[in-house]
Amino acid sequence: MRVLLVEDEVEIQGFLQRSLTEAGYQVEAAADAKNAERMSLESVHDILIVDLGLPDEDGLSLILRLRQLGLRAPVLILSARRSVDDRVRGLEQGGDDYLTKPFALAELLARVRNLVKRNTSSATEATRLRVLDLELDLLRREASRSGEILNLTPQEFVLLEYLCRNAGRVVTRSMILDGVWGMRIQPDTNVVDVHIYRLRGKVDTTGRQPLIRTLRGVGYVLKDR
Amino acid sequence: MFSKTVKPMRSAAWRISLWAALAFACGTMVVFIFLHQFVAHDIQRRTDAWLAGEAGVLSDVAERTPKGVLYRRIVGEVAELASREIPHKRVDNAGLNDSVFFLQTAADGSVGLWVGSGDGSAHLAGLRNSQIVPEIPTSVHVAGFDAPFRVVCVRMNNGGQIYLGLSERDQLRVLGSLRLRFVLLWVLIVLIGSAIVYYSTRRVLRHVQDITHAASRIGEAQLSSRVPTTHRNDEVSQLATTLNRMLDRIESSVHQLHTITGSLAHDLRSPLTAVRAKLEMSLTASARDEESESIVSAMEDLDRLTEFLDQSLDVAEAKANALRLNRVGVDLDDLLRVMIDLYEPSMSEKGLRINLCSAGSLEVSADAALIHRMIAILFDNELRHLRASCTVTISLSRSEDGALLVVEDDGPGFESEVLSQVFERRVRGRNSTGHGLGLAFVDAVVRVHGGKIDASNRKEGGARLTIILPLAAP
Repeated sequence: MRVLLVEDEVEIQGFLQRSLTEAGYQVEAAADAKNAERMSLESVHDILIVDLGLPDEDGLSLILRLRQLGLRAPVLILSARRSVDDRVRGLEQGGDDYLTKPFALAELLARVRNLVKRNTSSATEATRLRVLDLELDLLRREASRSGEILNLTPQEFVLLEYLCRNAGRVVTRSMILDGVWGMRIQPDTNVVDVHIYRLRGKVDTTGRQPLIRTLRGVGYVLKDR
Repeated sequence: MFSKTVKPMRSAAWRISLWAALAFACGTMVVFIFLHQFVAHDIQRRTDAWLAGEAGVLSDVAERTPKGVLYRRIVGEVAELASREIPHKRVDNAGLNDSVFFLQTAADGSVGLWVGSGDGSAHLAGLRNSQIVPEIPTSVHVAGFDAPFRVVCVRMNNGGQIYLGLSERDQLRVLGSLRLRFVLLWVLIVLIGSAIVYYSTRRVLRHVQDITHAASRIGEAQLSSRVPTTHRNDEVSQLATTLNRMLDRIESSVHQLHTITGSLAHDLRSPLTAVRAKLEMSLTASARDEESESIVSAMEDLDRLTEFLDQSLDVAEAKANALRLNRVGVDLDDLLRVMIDLYEPSMSEKGLRINLCSAGSLEVSADAALIHRMIAILFDNELRHLRASCTVTISLSRSEDGALLVVEDDGPGFESEVLSQVFERRVRGRNSTGHGLGLAFVDAVVRVHGGKIDASNRKEGGARLTIILPLAAP
């Protein structure tokens, strides 16, 4: 997987490059729009990560120009603007995604992964998900551990499905809110934690290997090993 | 807001023309009353002069004519001649002129000579009832006549008296027809005048209304458009120019605010991102628990700081009406159900109940992200401030003004000292753990959507927030 990272802040560029490389991506980095355009035309990338505040050009117009030049790869937009404006939302509908600074590295990695997967995924959707001894039947909306049916509410099932789809990877609270409830909000109360806590009470009953792990300050992860 | 056309009866043009008509009517009426007085006085003066002259002549004739057989005829002829000088005189059934009479009394008061209609007894009775000073014209009422007579009396040498009377009927008729004509003309002129005033003020005020419409659209939509100006350099076009200059200033300050908040956000966010990334990487690298504990707490502090920064800037922009809206149709019923679904576990964990009373789908035209955050803040507030076993009731209904959303609880309610300023920044209750931005943000979001918000305490105890949001166009 080749990533083109366009970010002018040297320090942030360094961190992103390091964590993307650790996650197994091949990263090329550019610090301004001119270099980014050249690098994008020279070789094919699977995904672009573009900061909107570039020194020589607005990130959005760079993306639009690259699209006109035939860029097909998805773009993850990094924005230091707080309220994301309409043009970015418009791009989101076109298959791209955005993140506002500051963000959790885990969330950045998850969004990159989702974008790449969305772009390359086959049309056939699995009807079953399996993580260790946890199995989800997506048609009957039933979850079971070692064959024993878990008594989940529809909402809990959706939450567990989201965790399973991201099994082995960290998901942050804002990712859960976005993925399960479809909202980009930041509640200052522990609403998500209570949902996870309840789900854990049903999934990780005593005597079983605990699957849902909390990473404090980051989010949650469903263990797949 | 002001886009409704004002009804004619409630317009300023209507009031102005009403007052103008009233002033005009009163003025002309006063002028007419003076004129009327003057004319009436003048007619009476002329009548009196004629009467005095004629009475003098008659008494002269009566004195000089020998009291013989011809006396009655001669004096009668002279009186008859005098009465013919009166214009518009009327005659009674017997063909006699009834607007003038001549009466000569003997020294004992009995009728000596009578010229006029009837036998003169009614006139004599009328004369006796009024106290007549010789030589001074006096008005006398005579039974059987509507109009009084103007009578002048001359004392004769033989002790008798001569009375010459002229009916005031003609004078009154002239004045009556003068009044009638005036009233008709007056009504006509007042009507025409007020119509002219109404249409001219309406024309002027229509420009003002155009400006109002344009200005209200600017407030709701965008700051770059301007109100229409005319080429005439009158007060209205000055108003338009002033408004446009004001809009220039507002636009530039809003632009400045955007630039400041934008660069502030940017300048703070980049280092925050770097710090957070450093912390996150060192968290995965460090295996020691006590170290990771402090890293995690630093990250949580950082997230809170970011959130505070976001919300402060949002409230600042919202208060300045500078929030950018991306309006879509938002179904409040759907949204509330999803939100309750999200918050219900936390609430029941804390021993709170939450109820939704909704009549079904209700779509408003709003910025989805802002509305999501607004509801989340309301729910967060309930979650933070209520004690166990309280109930939160959310009601959603359609009202005349739009979608009516009421959030009530049976908790402690707002503290009385903060109730009046609960939507101000940094205002919070004594026991509040928040940073006092939540409701200020909610207020700003509601207002920027053209809605209304009100906070109160319920009579039975507990807080009530009432929010009205405009419905989506059907």
